[in-house]
Amino acid sequence: MESLFRQFVQEKKRFLLPAIVFLFVFYFSLPLTLAFFPQQMSATLPFINLSWGWLYAFAQFIMTWLLCWMYWHKAKHFDQLVERMQEENR
Amino acid sequence: MNLTYFLFFICIIICTLIITHWAAKYTKTTYQYYTAAGSLTGIQNGMAIAGDFISAASFLGIVGAIAINGYDGFLYSIGFLVSYLILLFFIAEPVHHLGKYSLGDVICARFPNRKVRMIMALGAFIISILYMIPQLVASGLLIRLLLDIDYSTSVIIIGSLMTIYVVFGGMYATSWVQIVKTVLLMSGTFLLSLIVFSRFNWEITELFEQVKQGSVLGKQFFLPGQIFGNPLEAVSLQLALILGTAGLPHILIRFYTVRNVVEVRRSVITASWIIGVFYVITLVLGLGAVALIGGENLIAVDATGNLAAPLLAKELGGDFLLAFISAIAFTTIVAVIAGLVISATTAFSHDIYHHIIKKGRATEKEQLRAAQWTALGVGITATLFALGLKNINVTFLVSLTFIVAASSNLPVLLFTIYWKRFNQTGAVIGMMSGLIVSLILLLFGPHIMNPDGGWIAREPLFPLYNPGIIAIPIGFLGAIFGTMLSRQPLESDKAFKQFSIRAQTGIDTRRDGS
Repeated sequence: MESLFRQFVQEKKRFLLPAIVFLFVFYFSLPLTLAFFPQQMSATLPFINLSWGWLYAFAQFIMTWLLCWMYWHKAKHFDQLVERMQEENR
Repeated sequence: MNLTYFLFFICIIICTLIITHWAAKYTKTTYQYYTAAGSLTGIQNGMAIAGDFISAASFLGIVGAIAINGYDGFLYSIGFLVSYLILLFFIAEPVHHLGKYSLGDVICARFPNRKVRMIMALGAFIISILYMIPQLVASGLLIRLLLDIDYSTSVIIIGSLMTIYVVFGGMYATSWVQIVKTVLLMSGTFLLSLIVFSRFNWEITELFEQVKQGSVLGKQFFLPGQIFGNPLEAVSLQLALILGTAGLPHILIRFYTVRNVVEVRRSVITASWIIGVFYVITLVLGLGAVALIGGENLIAVDATGNLAAPLLAKELGGDFLLAFISAIAFTTIVAVIAGLVISATTAFSHDIYHHIIKKGRATEKEQLRAAQWTALGVGITATLFALGLKNINVTFLVSLTFIVAASSNLPVLLFTIYWKRFNQTGAVIGMMSGLIVSLILLLFGPHIMNPDGGWIAREPLFPLYNPGIIAIPIGFLGAIFGTMLSRQPLESDKAFKQFSIRAQTGIDTRRDGS
């Protein structure tokens, strides 16, 4: 039980820490780049008629759904550990 | 009043009352009243969360903000959406494992103490009431505009509807009204956005061209920098938005309405999809409104842009479509307010009445009776406030809600769940400092102290419209210092381990005697 729980916490940390750091950096870079590099963010992308600012804004949507999906996927493994813990606790 | 409008509204009112009547049959115990007996599936709960979260401010406000401010208006929606990741990663599952009905339950699972419960209940109560008032005021103004009934009558209609749902139907009625709202809102706005595209022969570039011609900003419309010139202000707002959702009591209590953590995850992910798609739709509607109606005309009707969506509907489909969209806006409002009423009710009747006044010994019947009376009281109080605040601009209360939630509830929740050294003094001080600092900064900030039409016509003592960047760290620091400075004995390793296992996995490792 103890060792399983330790493994569970470790594995969860290994996913969540990088995820949250990435999330904060990616998210706060949007207002910051807009504030400090307005010229570059307003420049249009090659090929499509869209500026970097819009692309980055839409990327936040993709990022949210992607991280949700990754967590959903990982959580299946966490649930298996919990199931094993439950058996040991009985 | 026009017949089409009247029929739409009557139809919505009758449908929701049928739901309430059905729900009342199943609302015989507190478990059913507060959590719908955990009977919702993840998908249903996700729809209800979206219905709880997307307020009239989101629907009408963001369409208007985009139509008037272009790119910067769109930035609001990103914060609202990304915040669901914080909820999913750190808060939703432990809340489901630890609590029974309220947020107070979650904190008291670790610190079984009346003072802690009291402060959590007060926090949840204040947040819910603060959020409810601007929604009610906005709804009164909206219904007055659309149906031509006077303000007081419309506030009383909405106030009594929400009270009826919650008093008789509890969480069942609230959830299903929210689910119906989500379905209506999503399908209605999606339809509207398709009509917008069809007007431009399905050519996005043509839409963009029209937007540049329509907006007073011209080419600037698609460029950043219209609202957020000051980077500090922008970061401060984004901080409150991303951290706020994970502290909102009316969202968090929704995780008690599903059976297990898989469904909890499924609800958050479903909600994030619905909300994300919804914000893409509002973007289309915002662009459509500028392109088809023109920025100047929008501002002339209402400077905040709140009427952009209804005006667009009228332009596209005449009175019929306008009536349909108005009915959707109306459902949006009642669904959100019902969610807030039940959250305030739970905080008061479960935490304060049952646990503090009755010391946990109230019978099932007494508790249910108390919950229903509380819901009635909350409904009446909020309605009276809204009636009194008719001519006052209260929209800033919406952003206040997110700041208070992020600076008082979130630090206490996070530390309770994850920090071993945390203690109850830290919890009390963290709650209080977050709550008090955000209220004070708002009071001395430019929303209220403003030489140009503020409640107090003076130069603001605090320069930021969004005090989140100061208030949120203070909430966290308050909780940390409260813990460090108090001389409470450290919890034993074993006790924290037991708590931690329960918080993360839901397994109760306590043997006998408890």
